[in-house]
Amino acid sequence: MSGQSGTKVVYKNIHLENSHTLAVSKANGGYQAMEKAFGMTPAQVIDQVKKSGIRGRGGAGFPAGLKWSFIPKDDPRPKYLVCNADEGEPGTCKDREILRGDPHLLIEGMIITAYAINAQRAYIYIRGEFVREAEVLQGAIDEAYAAGLLGENVAGRGMHFDLAVHRGAGAYVCGEETGLIESLEGKKGQPRLKPPFPANIGLYDCPTVVNNVETLTSVPDIITKGGDWYSGLGVANSTGTKLFSVSGHVNKPGNYEVELGIPLKTLLNDYAGGVRGGWENLKGVIPGGSSTPILTASQCETVTMDYDALAKAGSMLGAGSVIVVDKSVCIVRAIARLSRFYRHESCGQCTPCREGTGWLAQVMGRLEAGKGTMKDIDMLLDISGNIQGKTICALGDAAAMPIVGAIKAFREEFEYHVEHGRCMVG
Amino acid sequence: MPTLIIDGKEISVKPGSTIMEAAQMLGVFIPHFCYHPKLPIDGNCRMCLVEVEKMPKPVVACAMPVNDGMVVRTESDMVKKARRGVMEFLLINHPLDCPVCDQGGECRLQDFAMKYGPDRARFGDDKRDVNNKELGPLIETEMDRCIHCTRCIRFSREIAGTEEMGAMWRGDHMEVGTFVKKTLTSELTGNLAEVCPVGALNHKPFHFQARGWELKHAFGVCNHCSVGCQVRRDRLENKVIRVEAAHCDSINETWLCDKGRYAVDGLTVKRVKQPQVRKDSSHGISNVGWQEALDAAAELLKSVKAEEVAGIAAADRQGAEELYAFQDFLRNTVGTRHIDFRVRQRDYSADESVLTRADLFMNTPLEKLQEADAILVVGADSRYETPIMNLRIRKAARNGAKVFSLGPRALDSNVPGLVNIVRRPGQEPVFLKALLAGLTGATASTEVKELTETLKGAQRPVVIIGDHAINHPQAELIRRQCVAVMDACGALTSEWNGYNRVPTVSNAAAAQDMGVIPHRGPGYKLVDNPGYHAQKILKAAAEGEVKVLFILGNDLLTEAGDTQLAKQAIDKAKVIWLGAFDSETVKQADVVLPGMTVTEKDATLTNVEGRVQRSNAAVKAEGEAKEDWRILRALSDRFATSLSYNTIDALRTSMAAVDHRYDLDKLSPQEMPVACDHSPVTTGLDLSGVGSSEGGAGLCMIVEVPFYFGDPVARRSPTMAKLDAGNRLRINPKDAQVQGIVQDQKVRVIQGETKIEVIATLDEHVPEGTIISYSGYAPGPSQDLCQWDGGFPTVSLAGL
Repeated sequence: MSGQSGTKVVYKNIHLENSHTLAVSKANGGYQAMEKAFGMTPAQVIDQVKKSGIRGRGGAGFPAGLKWSFIPKDDPRPKYLVCNADEGEPGTCKDREILRGDPHLLIEGMIITAYAINAQRAYIYIRGEFVREAEVLQGAIDEAYAAGLLGENVAGRGMHFDLAVHRGAGAYVCGEETGLIESLEGKKGQPRLKPPFPANIGLYDCPTVVNNVETLTSVPDIITKGGDWYSGLGVANSTGTKLFSVSGHVNKPGNYEVELGIPLKTLLNDYAGGVRGGWENLKGVIPGGSSTPILTASQCETVTMDYDALAKAGSMLGAGSVIVVDKSVCIVRAIARLSRFYRHESCGQCTPCREGTGWLAQVMGRLEAGKGTMKDIDMLLDISGNIQGKTICALGDAAAMPIVGAIKAFREEFEYHVEHGRCMVG
Repeated sequence: MPTLIIDGKEISVKPGSTIMEAAQMLGVFIPHFCYHPKLPIDGNCRMCLVEVEKMPKPVVACAMPVNDGMVVRTESDMVKKARRGVMEFLLINHPLDCPVCDQGGECRLQDFAMKYGPDRARFGDDKRDVNNKELGPLIETEMDRCIHCTRCIRFSREIAGTEEMGAMWRGDHMEVGTFVKKTLTSELTGNLAEVCPVGALNHKPFHFQARGWELKHAFGVCNHCSVGCQVRRDRLENKVIRVEAAHCDSINETWLCDKGRYAVDGLTVKRVKQPQVRKDSSHGISNVGWQEALDAAAELLKSVKAEEVAGIAAADRQGAEELYAFQDFLRNTVGTRHIDFRVRQRDYSADESVLTRADLFMNTPLEKLQEADAILVVGADSRYETPIMNLRIRKAARNGAKVFSLGPRALDSNVPGLVNIVRRPGQEPVFLKALLAGLTGATASTEVKELTETLKGAQRPVVIIGDHAINHPQAELIRRQCVAVMDACGALTSEWNGYNRVPTVSNAAAAQDMGVIPHRGPGYKLVDNPGYHAQKILKAAAEGEVKVLFILGNDLLTEAGDTQLAKQAIDKAKVIWLGAFDSETVKQADVVLPGMTVTEKDATLTNVEGRVQRSNAAVKAEGEAKEDWRILRALSDRFATSLSYNTIDALRTSMAAVDHRYDLDKLSPQEMPVACDHSPVTTGLDLSGVGSSEGGAGLCMIVEVPFYFGDPVARRSPTMAKLDAGNRLRINPKDAQVQGIVQDQKVRVIQGETKIEVIATLDEHVPEGTIISYSGYAPGPSQDLCQWDGGFPTVSLAGL
């Protein structure tokens, strides 16, 4: 379900029949970037990725090349590469397409990355609910092993690289990289304190790079065509293409790969088929997944989809999960639902998130039911402030931000609930 | 050394320190719940958030490493707001039932809520309701109060090594407890309640007994094993109702074992409260006044020749003061040479060599033990003999040390990677001989190969000789072999002395220092004409040669190595018994003088390292009991030579005169002899006498001291009784099958004419051909089957 036109880095082959097979992959340029990378030094590979300017596609947007370069060079410990395929952010479904449509692109990206950071072993931590995707991925890995692309001598180049799929058990917090590492180690999925960062003490206390599926699948083209080519895509500080999962009240929801910096309005109208009932029917857009603050319709007129512009608008690009909300939606109800989600998914280890998400959900539930008070609205902001920036990982922030954003943008709906005991819409 | 500024004060700390550590050095208090100096850092409570300049968000002081030039503020508006927020979060689901909470008054949550929290609640929604957990007889839970700091989880995982506690579920459904419903089995569970910063985990025996502010505290030393942990004894009225660990980095850090903590309720059970005298054999024993009892005792002692009197002491129930006075009285007032405290030892041949203190106790300080990189444990079940020392072994193993145990059975250990070398009892010297050959020769035989290579490659090897080896028929040979092993490793230097003999009896070191042994006087000075050791004393008494036994605290009929011989001795000789705890032995005595427990008197206790410590009286004596040394002093007045001291200070001056390490009042901290500062270990002794490697046939029985039933206080304690497995016989399932014995069956153990009855426990840790029984159970203690002279008894079994 890729977009109509423009440069494709990640979704270039998924429309082909049997695109998940090695034969189709190879026939369409698969594993050629790997061959090219083997002709370069690991430092050169990292250099190209740095030049590309690609930022982590999982949501945090940390420059990938920089992350790789943090792996200590003269360290006797083994290095690990972990692919984060725990796509759990509500609104996100972009990686899933890659996993079932072009798993070999991911394997190739991981071989190149492992080569760059000198890792001999890698894991793909895949969301437990992705049953079919895990099967396809395992099939692709088996094919790659059989073809000598994985194992003791990758493609006859003397590189030892083993790759395994690890299925998660359905915890949102295991998408956080250190929570993921804990879970991968067989422990309860609870994020770790940072510092130390995984680049130094990660999986099994060894240097580890954790990258998102989309990031890793962007690597082959960066190597083939060069970092400079990639950085020519998109806009400054937000280079390259990005997968946007557009969901909600649009006529053509789906995953679209476009260059970063595209105006939101263009994305919605030209790719996603326009807002249901026309642009005037738009109430707001959650631009980067459920944890990012909602944009109002008027902000949506002008905002562009890149890191800086969205930050300026008071929100975030996140994982590029665009949730479109039209005027039929009660914001209070929508956010109350999200609060329930975050309460359910908080790992429970640190105080502000464990207690705060529960409290937020209870107050939101009360407001939604028309039993709240005006004081509750400001209390929500205060509780959110007490959570934000005080927790071990970003889940606390993720729970607080949508509430803060919604009250900022749609305070009148909250007040309506208090005053009338019911919803403004419907 | 990074230098940072905290609240305007500058400090340089070692790299890798955290802000919390730096603040503590500066005396700046940062409130915290989950942080504990002896536990791994978790950073989950978020109470210790502080502001660091140039950082956008507050950081947790407990986990944030310091950087040079860091500027930290612990009282800024940002910090205060953050703390207020965290406090509020912690309280929203807390039941706020302080008035009925055991922790009330000594609760961090309560204190910090007062100091840092909001004064009003904004939370009006439903509070969490958490089911309590049944964790066994020691820990009472009130899980609504839990703040999920995970201290208990980290303790059980990292320190105790039992991984019994964990967290289930997520978010605000998270519950701390055992995963599968089960009770705790660790020997260290009391620490869970101690580390709990709130009232979620409480001491069950203390539950609803008192409020914290009603208690009076006395700092003292635990006398349940030779480690000598520092404790705080809390009393209500005249009863010790709680024992907590006192912080001591050199010994117990902040931990205590369950016996040391909970056996305290045995202190007041079955006590000797009145002086008693047996007036004539037909009338039995009757209560008398002190003067009459002392007169009777003096008369008994004077009715025989001095050499016909012998003294046996129990080191673990006395301070060094009593031990000194006891030998002083017997040697100088009565004039006998026969005195000993080693009632379970079988091999006394070491007495004939001129051994140093270093040969007989620990040389590696407890603090250094964790730095060892190879540890050989010989005949020691450290986990249950000296639990707190075992934590250091565990730490060493976690730091990478390889730990080997040579003994008659596989250990139920919490030391990671422990290698069990199981040999039939009596075969230990054969193995050690092979090990020595491997260490000193070119090639090592297969059975010792791994151990030889480990020891050879080690920089800081350690050997620990424990209870089984110390009370072994060939104890001295084993001891010499262990010295030789360390010598071969080059580990007997002043930089690293890895030789450790660890008698498990509390205060054994003081008994030796004070001369309660036949071959050495006070100050460990050689005596010209050594008297009889414990075994000979009892033999001589049984044969009528020794006519009066003066017993200081022992319950010989259940504690002696050969209880049959003890019975004969007590039947034949007249017995003067001085001590605190009533027993079968006391009932046989002719004069009973009620003494005090260690908790009732100011006492000096010396631990296995040789560390001399003072313990303060926590409560007043029961009944008419008096300090034991005072009783001896009064008794000596009835003789020509009386004891020269009338006050405890004068007594301590006499002790200090013979051993300067006991001069605690005069020595400044700088002059205090360091623990383990003993004379050099004696090397080059004869190592012959190793038997053949052919093990004997039949079932060989060994007797161990049960952890929860190992001393008179533990035997009396209702709490310990809930934990103790009872009089059991552990046997390998294959042996059991051969004998037709099933689990929990009553079994008769027969040796010649003697038999005892016990309940069988099938246990794969016990090798075939060996059975394990436990001492201390009456009537019919298992030592009835042990002849003191013989080796380990070979027994037959009959199922009942």
